[in-house]
Amino acid sequence: MFLRSLRHLRKKVGFRLTVWYSGIFILSSLFLFALAYFLLSSSLSKQDHEAIQLRLEELSALYQTGGGELIEREVTIEKKFEKKIPFFIRLAGRDNKTLFLYIPYQWVEFDIKQLEIMTSNITMTWARLPGKNDKNVLEVASIRLPNDCMLQVGKSTEDREKILRHFREIFTSVMVPLILFGFAGGVFLAFRALRPIRHLISTVRSVGPGRMDARVPIPQTGDELYELATLFNEMLEKIEVLINGMRDSLDNVAHDLRTPMTRLRGAAEFALQSGKNAEVCKEALSDCLEESERILKMLNTLMDISEAETGVMKLDREPVHISALIEEVLAMYLYVVEEKDIDINITVADELSVVADRTRVCQALANLMDNAIKYTPSGGQIDLEAHREPNQVVINVKDSGIGIPQEDLPRIWDRLYRGTQSSSQQGLGLGLSLVRAIVRAHKGRVEVLSKPGKGSTLSIYLPSTNQPSL
Amino acid sequence: MIESRGFKLGGDDYLTKPFSFSELLARVQALIRRASRTTDPIRLSIGDLSLELLTRKIVRAGKKIDLQQREFSLLEYLMRNEGRVVSKTMILEHVWDYNFDPQTDVVDVLVCRLRNKVDRDFREKMIHTIRGVGYVLKVS
Repeated sequence: MFLRSLRHLRKKVGFRLTVWYSGIFILSSLFLFALAYFLLSSSLSKQDHEAIQLRLEELSALYQTGGGELIEREVTIEKKFEKKIPFFIRLAGRDNKTLFLYIPYQWVEFDIKQLEIMTSNITMTWARLPGKNDKNVLEVASIRLPNDCMLQVGKSTEDREKILRHFREIFTSVMVPLILFGFAGGVFLAFRALRPIRHLISTVRSVGPGRMDARVPIPQTGDELYELATLFNEMLEKIEVLINGMRDSLDNVAHDLRTPMTRLRGAAEFALQSGKNAEVCKEALSDCLEESERILKMLNTLMDISEAETGVMKLDREPVHISALIEEVLAMYLYVVEEKDIDINITVADELSVVADRTRVCQALANLMDNAIKYTPSGGQIDLEAHREPNQVVINVKDSGIGIPQEDLPRIWDRLYRGTQSSSQQGLGLGLSLVRAIVRAHKGRVEVLSKPGKGSTLSIYLPSTNQPSL
Repeated sequence: MIESRGFKLGGDDYLTKPFSFSELLARVQALIRRASRTTDPIRLSIGDLSLELLTRKIVRAGKKIDLQQREFSLLEYLMRNEGRVVSKTMILEHVWDYNFDPQTDVVDVLVCRLRNKVDRDFREKMIHTIRGVGYVLKVS
């Protein structure tokens, strides 16, 4: 159980981050301490050696001027005033017999006899005399005097050791809080570093059916986590649009399919009840066919709208000449326009073209044309106008119809929305939605201006620098 | 569009789901006819109606009929498919080279115009509407 939870813990990024951070922190502080210790101890010993050397030279000069008595006198005076750092001083004769010896009282534990044995045969300069009771060492420097006597000056490492011991004590007392601090720092760091990711995780958890509006709080740092959060929000946005689009379509379809379905059912029922009358049956079947044709058309259009709105629609982009496009659309409506005795005015700037899916834009324009013809009374007029604006191409379709009431204006592009005045007209209420969906899929926009009683102008704006993308 | 990809892959025709069987049948028959035809006729003739393909002259019962371009195109299409139902979608594709349904029934309007010129002044009607399916040109 414990092992398993430990293994689980090891897998957590936060835990690993903590371990790494505190490990590196502790190791580097250990290293710094060790380095300081080494430098301190070596500089202390160097300092001692220099002091011994200096004292040795001083005394040797004294000896050469006044012999052993001068050294003796000097030491006695110094001892009286206790003004200098105490040194161990020994003057030995030719046979290494001690002639003069001075040991500060705190160093008496050293076995001075050993010096007589040690230095008898060798001409050494530095000797180390271990203490009897503790680890302290008496470091002794020797010098041969011109008369073959030997002068020795020494100093115990006791003072040095005291400082270093103190340093070690500080180190041990500091290390425990340092380790704790390092670990705490690691935990804090991991906690801080992983906070955006925890937000992300909790957001993802909260996203679910019916709750697509959750967003990750974006840290204002501009780093990778900021990027991740931004991208994640964009992804959520896209998914939300897709899901809402699907839901809206479904709602609309369910609602608007009921009417033709009821008629379909009615026709079939009627045919069944008519008995063996073949003519009635045939008529009913034809009704069914027409009704199902209408349903199919509606479904196809809805699917097109959904595809375009959700960005799934595949667009075969190519350069499209606006004037050719308008001609093409007009060709289709030519007879309809003639029948209704509608005047068509075309004003298209020369060489106007966009990069777009020809069929889709044609379809959008056809739907606008359709709309205009539908709402223009006989003998009316439709103006088709296209011109270039900075970065975009505008196509205006102006009819001379009944106009659109102000309150209906924002809703005319909505799916299956049919204004109060258009209910007398046949149609699915999908034409303008498809126009907007197609134009938006091309990164363009639609606009409408209307004066009730005078007519409406429906405009599509297509970006003229339409780079093929995705 | 899926259709254009279908054609690029070497298809002779393309139908998107869902389609009616009469349309599938009409398209297959059209393809068979196209494949078996050796030389293009220069004259189509059904009953008392005749159509010269080169001079675009149309005569019914000795009376000359003037047709506009798309009306001619539709009549030729109907005559080539004599006795077979052609759907609105097929007419849209053939006459206007369109592959989407406009909201307004432009085919209806065109057929209506053609009827006015070909059928109205004659007792026997040749262009018949098959409700929910399409149109057919035949002599009874």
